[in-house]
Amino acid sequence: MLEVRGVTVDFHGLRAVDDASFRVDEGRIAGLIGPNGAGKTTLFNTVSGMIKPSAGSVRFEGRDLARLDPADRSRLGIGRTFQIVKPFGGLSVRDNVLVGALTRGQSVGEARRTAEATLERLDMARLADVRAASLPLALRKRLELARALATGPRLLLLDEIMGGLNPTEVNETLALIRALNAEGLTLLIIEHNMHAIMQIAETVLVLNQGRIIAQGPPAAVTRDPQVIAVYLGVPLEPA
Amino acid sequence: MSLGQPNGLRWSLVVALPVAVALLAIPAVVTDVFWLGLGITVLMWAALATAWNISAGLAGGLSLGHAAYFGVGAYTATLLFLRLGVSPWLGLLVGAALAGALGAAIGAITFRLRGPFFVLATLAFGIVVHIAAVNWRELTRGAAGLLLPFGGGAQNMLFAGIAPYWYIGLGLLALTLGVTVAIRRSQLGYYLVALREDEDAARALGVRVVRCKVAASAISAALTACGGAFYATYIQYIDPSSTTQFEISVQIALVAIVGGLGTTLGPALGAVVVVPLGEILRAWLGGGPALMLYALMLIVIVLAAPYGVLGLLQRLVARLRSGRGPRGAAQGSGGRA
Amino acid sequence: MQLTLQILANGLLLGGLYALLAVGLTLIFGVLRVVNFAHAEFMMLGMFGVYWVWRMTGLDPYLAVLVVTPLILLVGIVCDRLIIQRTIGAPEVTVVFATLGLSIFLQNAALMLWTADIRSVTTPYSAMVLTPFGLRVSVPMLISFAVAMLAAAGLWLFLSRTLYGKAVQAVAQNREAAALMGINVRRVYLWTFSVAVAAAGTMGGLIAPLFTVYPRVGMSYIVTVFVIVVLGGLGSVPGAVLAALLIGLIEAAAGFLFGAAWAELSYFLIFLAVLIARPQGFFGRRGAEVFAGR
Repeated sequence: MLEVRGVTVDFHGLRAVDDASFRVDEGRIAGLIGPNGAGKTTLFNTVSGMIKPSAGSVRFEGRDLARLDPADRSRLGIGRTFQIVKPFGGLSVRDNVLVGALTRGQSVGEARRTAEATLERLDMARLADVRAASLPLALRKRLELARALATGPRLLLLDEIMGGLNPTEVNETLALIRALNAEGLTLLIIEHNMHAIMQIAETVLVLNQGRIIAQGPPAAVTRDPQVIAVYLGVPLEPA
Repeated sequence: MSLGQPNGLRWSLVVALPVAVALLAIPAVVTDVFWLGLGITVLMWAALATAWNISAGLAGGLSLGHAAYFGVGAYTATLLFLRLGVSPWLGLLVGAALAGALGAAIGAITFRLRGPFFVLATLAFGIVVHIAAVNWRELTRGAAGLLLPFGGGAQNMLFAGIAPYWYIGLGLLALTLGVTVAIRRSQLGYYLVALREDEDAARALGVRVVRCKVAASAISAALTACGGAFYATYIQYIDPSSTTQFEISVQIALVAIVGGLGTTLGPALGAVVVVPLGEILRAWLGGGPALMLYALMLIVIVLAAPYGVLGLLQRLVARLRSGRGPRGAAQGSGGRA
Repeated sequence: MQLTLQILANGLLLGGLYALLAVGLTLIFGVLRVVNFAHAEFMMLGMFGVYWVWRMTGLDPYLAVLVVTPLILLVGIVCDRLIIQRTIGAPEVTVVFATLGLSIFLQNAALMLWTADIRSVTTPYSAMVLTPFGLRVSVPMLISFAVAMLAAAGLWLFLSRTLYGKAVQAVAQNREAAALMGINVRRVYLWTFSVAVAAAGTMGGLIAPLFTVYPRVGMSYIVTVFVIVVLGGLGSVPGAVLAALLIGLIEAAAGFLFGAAWAELSYFLIFLAVLIARPQGFFGRRGAEVFAGR
């Protein structure tokens, strides 16, 4: 479904992503891990279109995305969340989600119903009228997810939506991700919570200093000597 | 700057009906030309500020070039009538279409510019149009201006009395307010607010930046041009200093800001406050001191209540309702020593 | 050939005068992220200041500049305390319209105090002309040009060579980091703003013997200076100087070739083109155009 080939990103002479290639098949959950500053979010941005790669290609369902901007890619079915949350602070939670639903081509009324259904599903219905700016961080992260879901994506990119959550909330989020996946949604997930990602990802990509140093099933990746070297001192828990 | 509150809308309809009736009855009650004239001027500035607010308040582009659109509307309606005998009613529509196209073009080339760069680009655009109006004498007669003939008749939007202009002005204001409400409740309105709040997030949700900003700019420009055509037929004389001059752009913005940037009714409310105040100050103190106080008011408003009188009220209500400090608490507090 | 040289000379002299105004405006933007719409009003105050000192005491206008500049500095300090400091971190509408309001206020204050009469300063050397290589160069213009360039160069040296200048640059690059390093950001703002507007006052004083003085004189300069500052890259001091000279040349050449109105029109069109194609200007760092956005 998603095919990234030889993607390289240079920032003022600094190589943030170096010749990254991977694919995510339809209906799968892929995890993207790596130390801070490894280039995970940058790689994400090349998929969602926020950044144009200096080299390489990104294909979605066989289609080259090079000439498409983020809005077009969202409309093709690529949804994303932002690690540094970007709520529309002045709008209510409902209207935040509504904007996502509108881009599906729904009327405002339909979009409002979609938004409410989405909020219901994420257990945020009671917050619908709250101004997004006044939400605590954990809920803002969930709002990111709600907005992205409302666009009706077929591929969803999640950027550390579990950071700062307590164990119960993490488990809830994992259950939700599994449920969404069971409905056919393909996911690519950046996560710092190693325990969580190893539980749900079928494939794990390990990024270090811009390069993909390992990819495969979690169990195999955690035994990879290169990965162990990168994470020396950080306990890796197999699924 | 809240949006999409159906309660607020129903509430405003309850208030709007009696207000509308009262407004329609005004020319029957107020027969004094000075006061009715003042009222018409208020209506015009209310409509202009409301139109400006579509671009500035909803789309977030603080334009200082709207006098250009005002001028295009005024000159198009006037010239079509003087040269080709086309009724200004039709000229108004042509002017709106022309300004709309111009607004779309300006929107398309300035959408990337942020903050001061957008302001400067629109300012330069306004000045280019002003220079053209002053110097293209074959067309505009330059600083000498253009006079519309007296008594052109209703079919030519030229009335002997001023009462009809009250109704046209009222219609214009209703149109701009109606368009504003329609935009706010439409897809475009949600997209514009989303873009203003966070452009990256909006784009990631599929919002197309260029399209939205071009649409807002074009609509705002077209409505402003309607105001220009109205001004031309009401005053029946136009010249660059009363239409395309930079001060006109500033005044449009001032009215909207005092009332409440980004709110639906704020800009119109601003005209009710600013225009009579300006007239009183001018009559009382003369032009210079009046403008000084005007400027002082602008400074105090933007420093103390950047979202205007209505914005201030809305924030207070929101604070009472949610029991939490509004977003505005974080802004504005940074500047105190 | 002779004519071309004459136009070049006129253009450079004019551009040099613009430079002093532009350098201050670009500094205020670079450091405070404020577009100072009132900048040319401080120039107007400088012109009036020199006019009145000359008129009352008969002091030579160039010496009067030395008296007037500190006064403008004081006005700048007051404006900074009352208005500019309060716009920092405020919404964009505040930043733009506070200085616009200040501009209208100062213009009309001058109108009230000194009426709309057009005044001029005359000196024994007002009409003096040097003729090097057969070119005609006005002496007061040359003096003003030289002083303006010296003042601009002084400002530049101050910024790049002194510790205080380094602090200013640190604030320009990253407000928060500078504050963490113990730089008093507020004081940097205060001095940047007031020194920059004092420079505008100096420029006003310098041109008082050359051009007529009236309350709205700033209007005819401010937009030109904006054009210069954007061309040079908002925030770039050397960029502002180069762009000022360039605009001076364009104005002189286009004015001669097509007439004054076309000259004005031509550089506004250039300005729009630059804003659209290269909003960071020719010397500015990429990314500056997104500063101060929401």
